[in-house]
Amino acid sequence: MSTAELPVDYEAEAKPDLAEHAVLLLVVSLVALVGNTVATDATVLQGLAGLAVLYVIAMVGLVLTYVVPLKLPSVAWISLVGILVTLPWTPGSAWVLDKVSHVNFLTLATPCLAYAGIAITNREISIAKSSGWKIFIVAVFVMTGTYVGSAIIADLFL
Amino acid sequence: MEKTKDILFDWRLHLSVLVITVIAEAVGVIAVPIGIGSILLLPLLYAFVMGLILNPNVISKMKGWMGQREVRAASPLIVIAIMPFIAKFGTIIGPSMEKIIAAGPALILQELGNLGTILLAFPIAVLLLGMGREAVGATFSVAREPNIAIIADKYGLKSPEGAGVMGVYVIGTLFGTFIFAILASLLATSGWFSIEALAMACGIGSGSMMAACSGALTHAVPAMEEQILALAGASNVLTYATGLYLCIFVALPVTEKLYDLLGRKEPATNNAGE
Repeated sequence: MSTAELPVDYEAEAKPDLAEHAVLLLVVSLVALVGNTVATDATVLQGLAGLAVLYVIAMVGLVLTYVVPLKLPSVAWISLVGILVTLPWTPGSAWVLDKVSHVNFLTLATPCLAYAGIAITNREISIAKSSGWKIFIVAVFVMTGTYVGSAIIADLFL
Repeated sequence: MEKTKDILFDWRLHLSVLVITVIAEAVGVIAVPIGIGSILLLPLLYAFVMGLILNPNVISKMKGWMGQREVRAASPLIVIAIMPFIAKFGTIIGPSMEKIIAAGPALILQELGNLGTILLAFPIAVLLLGMGREAVGATFSVAREPNIAIIADKYGLKSPEGAGVMGVYVIGTLFGTFIFAILASLLATSGWFSIEALAMACGIGSGSMMAACSGALTHAVPAMEEQILALAGASNVLTYATGLYLCIFVALPVTEKLYDLLGRKEPATNNAGE
């Protein structure tokens, strides 16, 4: 595997432009719609309306990522748009909330993890093998550390 | 751009993900009771495992169905597939803004808890496991993409520090969702922390890890779902915004100082991971 196989390469190399993002987002939204229909009691039409609203929010966030010179990841912009349109004092927020209420949040993460499993490269497998058990133990404590550390501080100040 | 078109029209990839999603959602959440609590198995975890099973790099027999082309194509789709999820999370945070502002000080200060990686993992790496400079890269952060960028920028990815951060990144990619789902479900049922605190701690700066973490929490305490998701989501946005700066200005310098104090005095020669 060449160095182009670095796991960060999808950020640097294969960067879809806005139009390609729009189509790819449509594809993953359709997968999410099927998932949502299987996972919840929502009808296909309810799910479709909810995902259409989420699609618009994501696209506005993406456009902001391209337009605003401030360097923030697209997911940060998308969250901000999602927050702004559903603030209690935003006109129409009740309508947005009603539409997206038929989409289960956890179901939306399922296709993402499926892509993630398929995206594991040979290089990543060889890193995991060569780093060995020590790095595995350290990684478990790294994750436990950030989680418990944050929970302790949050508990102190709540 | 021919390359992106490839990604777009790779029907095998999208069809596989569709089938995986349907199977994972049809199975649903399974709770496995163990000693101090129960571990929740979530559809997104099955999806990841099924993705791995279809991956020709993991199971070579899959080469008949998928090749390196699909593996390569799947990478940019990870970020795109998380976008509807992130948008939905925004719509959970918005209506709860008053509660989030009320929790403001705790929410902001718990970002410092991300330094817990150093506190807990650094001594284990250096004192217990005898790791060299890899430990600096491995423990200064939770090793997601922005953190890799910091190490790549400062030391290069072929350095020991680079091997450390890449090692934890890969383990996190492979096992992170499982580890956070287990941590969250165990701690939620143990009663050691308030659920609000555990929810805030789910804001790790990775969409899928936050999904696993907050998903496990909401299944453990369904009555608090709205609150858990709002706090976890807000904390995650905050981590996206502050994580990079906390790492550059605090976490990495602190880890370096600690290494000067506790680390090997002779220059490390073994270049693990290369």
